[in-house]
Amino acid sequence: MIDTMFIGLSLSSILLLVALGLAITYGAMGVINMAHGEMVMLGAYTAVLSRIWLDANIVMAIPIAFVVTAIVGLVIERVIVRRLYGRLLDTLLATWGVAILIQQAIRLEFGLSFFGIHVEGLGPGLQNVPVPAALQGTFHLAGVEINTYRAFIIVVTAALAAVTWLLLQRTSIGMQVRAIIRNPKMAAACGVDVARVNALTFAFGSGLAGIAGVMMSGFKTVFPDMGTPMVVDGFLVVVVGGVGSLLGSVLSAGLLGEINSVVAALKNDTIARAVIFGVVILIIVVKPKGLFSFRGR
Amino acid sequence: MASRQRYDFLLYGIFVAAILVAPLMLDEFWLNRIAKYLVFGMLGVAVALSWGYAGILNLGQGLFFGAGAYMLAMSLKLASPTSLQQGSDKPVPDFMLWNAEPGALTQLCCINKGSFIWLPFQSQWFGVAMGIVLPVAIATITGMIVFRNRISGVFVSIITLALVLLIRLLVIDAQPLTNGFNGLTDLAWLTIGAFQFDPYSRATYYLVAIALSLVLVGARLLVSTRAGLILQATRDDETRARYLGLDVPSYQIFFFVVSAAICGFAGMLYVMVSEFASPTFMDLSFSITMVVWAAVGGRSSILGACVGAILINMIEAKVSETKALVEVWKAVVGLIFVLVVLYLPRGLGGFAHDLLDRWRARNAEVVPDEGLVVAESRDAVAERG
Repeated sequence: MIDTMFIGLSLSSILLLVALGLAITYGAMGVINMAHGEMVMLGAYTAVLSRIWLDANIVMAIPIAFVVTAIVGLVIERVIVRRLYGRLLDTLLATWGVAILIQQAIRLEFGLSFFGIHVEGLGPGLQNVPVPAALQGTFHLAGVEINTYRAFIIVVTAALAAVTWLLLQRTSIGMQVRAIIRNPKMAAACGVDVARVNALTFAFGSGLAGIAGVMMSGFKTVFPDMGTPMVVDGFLVVVVGGVGSLLGSVLSAGLLGEINSVVAALKNDTIARAVIFGVVILIIVVKPKGLFSFRGR
Repeated sequence: MASRQRYDFLLYGIFVAAILVAPLMLDEFWLNRIAKYLVFGMLGVAVALSWGYAGILNLGQGLFFGAGAYMLAMSLKLASPTSLQQGSDKPVPDFMLWNAEPGALTQLCCINKGSFIWLPFQSQWFGVAMGIVLPVAIATITGMIVFRNRISGVFVSIITLALVLLIRLLVIDAQPLTNGFNGLTDLAWLTIGAFQFDPYSRATYYLVAIALSLVLVGARLLVSTRAGLILQATRDDETRARYLGLDVPSYQIFFFVVSAAICGFAGMLYVMVSEFASPTFMDLSFSITMVVWAAVGGRSSILGACVGAILINMIEAKVSETKALVEVWKAVVGLIFVLVVLYLPRGLGGFAHDLLDRWRARNAEVVPDEGLVVAESRDAVAERG
């Protein structure tokens, strides 16, 4: 049972990293970013490519992936999302288009495959990333056997969640983000540069998703379509947790991850996902604002 | 307004005439393909109704499409020769035999747990009826829960999205009953009296084309009824409609159900034309793709959404003939989609309406009839929402 709970916790960690970015962008900016899953995918491909071309392992790929996906996120915000503020459902549709573009870019190796150039690590096929020896195997803690890589995921996520919390609560830019979450117009009236803060928030959220992708690449196959289920899951976490609530996202990621691993252990993976969808529908019907919502009136 | 409607019906007439004349110029292979795209056009109509007119972005239309498809496919599966060649005079789907436990009775009633629900599908008309009844029932229950609780906007999208993915997983998981990932294949042809609808025949094409024409005109008439106008008022300002004393949820549920029924109907036609039903109908990407078609064609124009769906698929079929372009085309669709949302939020249909309005406004200047122009441009603004 403890074993199952531990697997659930590592699932929750990945969910949380994906959801944190969505929670901030959706909460603060009213943007549903369907391309967020592609940030996870890009992060995973960064891990693949940095192993092949830079000989860097997963741990070293984390900062690289953060930078790469943050830049891509910044570009998406500048070019597309910026024009769509206030049109919630349109952001969903436009970013879905962006998601397809990014997937095809990877599949077609940025168009190079037309000229007969093949970049190792890209293309439509499946990719794998080996976990460094130090993170393989298991260790014992208080009599329980623990998978080292899963523990690594949990520790990294906890650290990143703490950093996010500190950024939001203890820095001036974090205060501006919180002000925008409560009331964007009032924040703008008080002199917050909403456009700049939004762009940075978007980039930061994308970067976190990229890191989630790197860590996923350690235990899952990497392929161009891997992001779509992630954005759905991440979004469910955000909605269940309550829009704009960091604590809510943490708790609901924990809840959904644990439900998933417990049901998967009892029945199978398919039923586990089905149960997740059922639980989410129930929660939205009963509490449409999510379990914890701090959004202003 | 009156003249706007006249133009509208002229366009609808041209479209209906075009799809009815098309078989004269096409061979059987293309007829079958175009019939599929007409079915997708019908999905465009359903999306335009619920999204463009009701303001409900349903990301689970695939659920209703899939429900309609599976219901008819179950009947056609039992009517198929592969179900009869199993040493029994009563039909049993072949995949159930492959997976049957040793010693199980090869009867539909008890070959496995739950196989009895296939029993009534021995009648083809039961399948046809359920193809409408099941989507309507699901939509009614969902609609009651969602709209009576005043859930709106993106939350409706998330609930419908979660619902379609949930049902999809259940269908995949119930492998002994539904053949899981593989779906239902090897289906018989729909039979009416002694006539069989060969999917590669004119008869099937005309069945689909006439069905689409009826749905299209029916939907257009429906949105100009009082109920349709109230629905648009609700879309533009739900609270105001409520304060005017209108029973908003009833209208929303009604149109949600109509849209679901159209999807179910489309699902049945698709099974007839393509001869299979599969869980991919309930993939998230298919439901979003429907929305893409409608958005490109013009969400606030029923004909626009329908034409959008047909056009995108026809171009895709042409492009896909060159193998190297298949993946590129997907990227192009993504790009078109981004551009349409950014620059043509009302799609090609809305763009056409604007051109038409401008052209008529210019003509109206020649005949000094200011009142008409003002009234009509206000009308155009209202429709922009």
